[in-house]
Amino acid sequence: MPQLFRRIALPLIASAGLLASAPGGSSGARAETLGPVTDPLGVLKIPKGAPIQIGGYWVISGADAALGTDEVRGVQIAFKDHGDRIAGHPVKLSVEDDGCNAEGGQTAATKIAANPNVVLVIGPACSSAATAGAPILWKQGIMDIATATTAPALTAPTRKPEYDGFVRTIYSDIYQGKSDAGYVYTQLKARKIVTIHDGSAFAQQLAAVMAQNFKDMGGTVLSVEAIQPTDVDMHPLLTRIATEKPDVVYLPIFVAATAQIIRQKKEVSGLESTIFIGSSGVMAPDLISAAGPAVIGFRIGYPDVSPDALGKGYGAFVAKYKDAYGEGPISGYNANAYDAGVLAIMAIEKVAVTAADGTTYIGKQALHDAVYATKFDGLSGPIACDSHGECAQFKPAVYEYTNADPTTFDIGKNPKKVFP
Amino acid sequence: MNGEAVASDWSGSRRTLRQFLARLTFVDVALWSLRILVLAVVIGGTIGTLIKTRYGLAQWFDFIMFGVTIGSIYAQIALGYTMVYGVLRLINFAHGDIMMTGAFSGYFLATAFDRSGFLAAHPVLAVLGTLLLSITVSTSIAVLAERIAYRPFRHVRGLAPLITAIGVSFFLEQTFRGLFGSSVKSYPDLHWQRAAFVVGGLTIPKIDLLVIGCAVASMLVLYLVIHHTKMGTAIRAVSEDSEAAALMGIDVNRVVVFTFMLGGVMAGIAGVFYAFVFKQVYFYMGFTPGIKAFGAAVLGGIGSVPGAMIGGFFLGIVESVGPSLFFDGIGIPAPYQLRDLIAFTLLIMVLIFRPNGLLGERMAKQRA
Amino acid sequence: MSGPADPAIATLLHDSEASAHAGPARRVVQTGLVFGVIALYLAMIGLLLMLHGRWIVIGVLSLGQAVLLAIGLGTGIAIAWRGVGEARSALLVQSLLAGALAGGVLALLSVVMAVVDLRGIFIALSRPLANMLGLGLGQPLAPLLLVLAGALLAVLGTLLAWLPRHPRRVLLGALAAVVIAGVFQELIQIMMQAGPAIGVLRDLLYSWDGLTPQGAAIVFVAAALLAAGVATLAARAPPAAALSPRRRKRRQAVLLALVFAALVVLPLIAGSYIGQVMMLVGLYILMGMGLNLEIGLAGLLDLGFVAFFAVGAYTTALLTADSPHALAAYTFLPHLSFWAAMPVAVLMAVIVGVLFGVPVLGVRGDYLAVATMGLGEIVRVIVLSDFAAPLLGGAQGVLQIPRPSLFGHELSGPVQLFYLTLLASTLAAYIAWRLETSRLGRAWMALRDDEDVAQALGISLVRSKLLAYGLGAAFAGLAGSIFATMVASVYPSSFQLLISINVLALIIVGGMGSLPGVIVGAAVLVGLPELLREFGEYRYLFYGAVLILMMRLRPEGLWPSPVRRRELHSDDQAEAAQAVREPALAGQRG
Repeated sequence: MPQLFRRIALPLIASAGLLASAPGGSSGARAETLGPVTDPLGVLKIPKGAPIQIGGYWVISGADAALGTDEVRGVQIAFKDHGDRIAGHPVKLSVEDDGCNAEGGQTAATKIAANPNVVLVIGPACSSAATAGAPILWKQGIMDIATATTAPALTAPTRKPEYDGFVRTIYSDIYQGKSDAGYVYTQLKARKIVTIHDGSAFAQQLAAVMAQNFKDMGGTVLSVEAIQPTDVDMHPLLTRIATEKPDVVYLPIFVAATAQIIRQKKEVSGLESTIFIGSSGVMAPDLISAAGPAVIGFRIGYPDVSPDALGKGYGAFVAKYKDAYGEGPISGYNANAYDAGVLAIMAIEKVAVTAADGTTYIGKQALHDAVYATKFDGLSGPIACDSHGECAQFKPAVYEYTNADPTTFDIGKNPKKVFP
Repeated sequence: MNGEAVASDWSGSRRTLRQFLARLTFVDVALWSLRILVLAVVIGGTIGTLIKTRYGLAQWFDFIMFGVTIGSIYAQIALGYTMVYGVLRLINFAHGDIMMTGAFSGYFLATAFDRSGFLAAHPVLAVLGTLLLSITVSTSIAVLAERIAYRPFRHVRGLAPLITAIGVSFFLEQTFRGLFGSSVKSYPDLHWQRAAFVVGGLTIPKIDLLVIGCAVASMLVLYLVIHHTKMGTAIRAVSEDSEAAALMGIDVNRVVVFTFMLGGVMAGIAGVFYAFVFKQVYFYMGFTPGIKAFGAAVLGGIGSVPGAMIGGFFLGIVESVGPSLFFDGIGIPAPYQLRDLIAFTLLIMVLIFRPNGLLGERMAKQRA
Repeated sequence: MSGPADPAIATLLHDSEASAHAGPARRVVQTGLVFGVIALYLAMIGLLLMLHGRWIVIGVLSLGQAVLLAIGLGTGIAIAWRGVGEARSALLVQSLLAGALAGGVLALLSVVMAVVDLRGIFIALSRPLANMLGLGLGQPLAPLLLVLAGALLAVLGTLLAWLPRHPRRVLLGALAAVVIAGVFQELIQIMMQAGPAIGVLRDLLYSWDGLTPQGAAIVFVAAALLAAGVATLAARAPPAAALSPRRRKRRQAVLLALVFAALVVLPLIAGSYIGQVMMLVGLYILMGMGLNLEIGLAGLLDLGFVAFFAVGAYTTALLTADSPHALAAYTFLPHLSFWAAMPVAVLMAVIVGVLFGVPVLGVRGDYLAVATMGLGEIVRVIVLSDFAAPLLGGAQGVLQIPRPSLFGHELSGPVQLFYLTLLASTLAAYIAWRLETSRLGRAWMALRDDEDVAQALGISLVRSKLLAYGLGAAFAGLAGSIFATMVASVYPSSFQLLISINVLALIIVGGMGSLPGVIVGAAVLVGLPELLREFGEYRYLFYGAVLILMMRLRPEGLWPSPVRRRELHSDDQAEAAQAVREPALAGQRG
């Protein structure tokens, strides 16, 4: 269409030469000296009486809102336990919504990073948000302590330097998948499994890691199934799975779809003796109310948080949680979030220098080093970061639901620890 | 606009037969390849699956039963879509959410009945009570939505009504989330729910029969209302030509409100049955079934009551049987993840071959 | 649920015309109930308490309290508007009663909450809400005070409505300035870090938590002075209609240039977060302009637009990413730079757009909405699926997409990427504008108005429709390409139906077929929710309410194209004629 070309392209080509390049101007972190502190990445100055500002980004809207909200509460309780003060200043936690996707994480991180007074960031819950958000924060010299992002790449030895500011108080899928595969193979003596994921990055990755480990041990993965998280009619899928006669179905997916599957499996013949195992995403009273009596016998691969293994304070933590929010924990990662809060407090207090006039100075590089160097026994187990930002240590366990009353939810009792 | 200039430049003088043929061929080739591709997948997959003999007769029967059950729920929601569309030419995007409001309010009554033991003692009465509340709520919300949001657009052409409907959908979802929270709630079990008839090795769950029967009954009642009552005649007249109907002395407002009421009643019934079969209620539950049901209504020919019914059943069965039948045989992994692919491909194929849906002829011609 | 108040809401939203002649008693009850129920609704969905958690003026006024005040004033204003021309003393009494009624609804809630615990059903009815409504006074006193406050505020509102126009505008402008300064304090404080001079101003207005009472007073006075000045100037300047067309045009051009200059400069001053938000708005503007070609010009309803966005993003990702899924990793193709990949992405989007158009060529009207929605969903399902995962990365997406670099300088910050988007949008706007006035554009419009007539005029339906899909898709492909490099990773979860709905909504809200409308629509429907990010889920409630209200108040959009405006005007006339006809009919029937 020559006429169209004449009308549009020619004037464009003519004016192309006139286009100037966009002006640059990135701020970024740079060395400075303020008060008594010199730091290669910059120094934060907090006047007397001003708050220590902690940023946060989690998913607090949409289908996964419970996941993020639960973690916000975990961090809030950690701060409250410390008197809501760090280094003599009040704490202010500002939470942004990341919608559990990459562009949401990027926007939220940009918003937080634009505030030059933010000392440190906690969150997010979703790996996609962290992948996009953490480099933006670290570019401004802000550390990010994630609470439920389990993608192995985030703390892999091969990660890029732009993720140097990223650590997490949760274990990688690699450990969870390996431990679940081990339980299924050696404890349950199962040899044939089916996995189901829901198209989320978390579930797909965990299912794949588990299946790979199971295969390596000598087991057979009959098929890798997938659903949409909004699917309600699981009967056809379960009928299909029943024809393969698996010993175990591994479904590391979320509450709604898990509940549909474990309810409907009772209505499909051929799955009576098959064991269904889920993951941390359904360690919540919500699953009991969604699945009803069908929840009994459903198992979850989850870190060992029983008092005798570690985290002596978890019972007290749950009591505080109920008192503050009128309900028990609504998702599975509140203890990790609590530990992220504690890690933040300890690292900041380690490097904060308060001058005689009450002004506090914090060096960014120093804070980075302090986060990596801090070690303590947390609610979710011992916390000590390796050089790639993996701070949690994973002790495997498996739990089984024994009661269909949501009010009885109490990790260790219902679901009851069945392994080790 | 200068029509002549457009005409002369865009076709007339410069359009040669060759160009015409070339263009024709491209579209035809594309459409034919699409048809061939779909047919190849369907036939190849079916043969492959049947050769593998992975599924026996019992399984195929189960697949169809599951499909018919969810299909009857789609059908019931689709009836509401189709009624409203027929009369107002409005895609009531919020219809799925109206179903949600019914199911949600029914939940509180049903759990109360369950706790007090009433559900176990008088299951029929309890289900009827739940239905009554659900229908009341969904009908009032449907009528309210019409009164507040849709009525101002009665005479507006264009997309404003559709956008308003999308707004209503968001508003209802978020209101219910704000009121009752975002957690997943679940309906109590009926103690006879697991019971099933067994006929020659095939199992037919009672609840499925109930749901299917109820859907068919609603359709029949609706059909009778539309074709054998005075109000029904008025509805048909308005849907044919609302201005002419007004000239004939029909109160268009009353007809529209009545139509929304019928849609609301259907949504209320569908909501309760959906919730008794699939248990879970939460604020977002109406969206996906709503879209599917809309597809079903179009599939059957939007505006046609039997069409909505057939569309719903057809969609349900294809969704249930399709992944195993078509995809298993050609080795596509995780076929049930592609369930929506099958549903929407079916929809598009129907629209290509029968642009007015399976049963809708009168409507679409006049519509365009 | 909200049973008793429903007819009342209906009346409010359905305008006062119907009830203009209603008796005073009915008016009082209706208005009082409507506003009372709005307050009740906000309380019961938990929004009131959430807003209560944010200060407008530290220690003095929270946002939640401000909303309640506004509702009280609104009751009085509504009474004043609906009773225009009636005796003022009577109206004052009416607003007193209506305000008391509105306050009474909230008071009732506070009493009920003190008596029974409904939190098992309505999760928002919590103790903090009870404390807020208790006003720190406790049971018997607080409800009485609520009633009293409602009555007084309503009277105040009526008086406010009676103020002459000029002082009223000044007052409202000043109040609005205080609210904005208070609500967006975080953003404004970030912006005020440019220099020591501004730092002094900041310390004058704000403390760490927000706007101080002293700051609020300063903002109020400054804004009032400004508003008074502007009002005086505006009164003196000749009205636009009086200008010659030429001068009007020149004025428009100057205005446009100023807006453009502001767009260029704003992110530099306001920093990277505003830059990021503006960049997202820019991407939606790009998509909006594309969809505008399809719907606004050619009349082809498309609910699957996100598919083209996804194609652009994934093409860019596969061509440039440093990942095992990149084409370069397993084919002979080299890793491309963003600049080389972008045209390919656009081209791919065009191809997919044309292929997308072919099956739905014969589908018309609302059927087209379903068909295109289906196509969009098909693309999403395929992108997400395990079936296509070996090619597209499945649920794990494609990571490590490089940023574009220009003369050896990497465009990595949101501000720089915003300029890229701005450049692309300007280019696209130019193309869209030229297309609109081209023969193809007129062919599209003929198509939109009547397909059969257009065909009879010799317009090739196939060609123009496919061109509309293809060119519309090009814009979305470009947006997708920039999106991929902006996020540096693509995940299937970014390509939901919601995006298609968003784009459609923004061009309708902006004004169909109008380029400036697309920009305004994107700013309202994308920019504003982004700025409200910390409100989480309630953003979508606002979104729904804005859609309904916008369509109700300005169905032609915020900035309609002149043609559309004329069309709707003639529609109005037709409707008026209809309205005349209908009562006549009713009379016959009676």
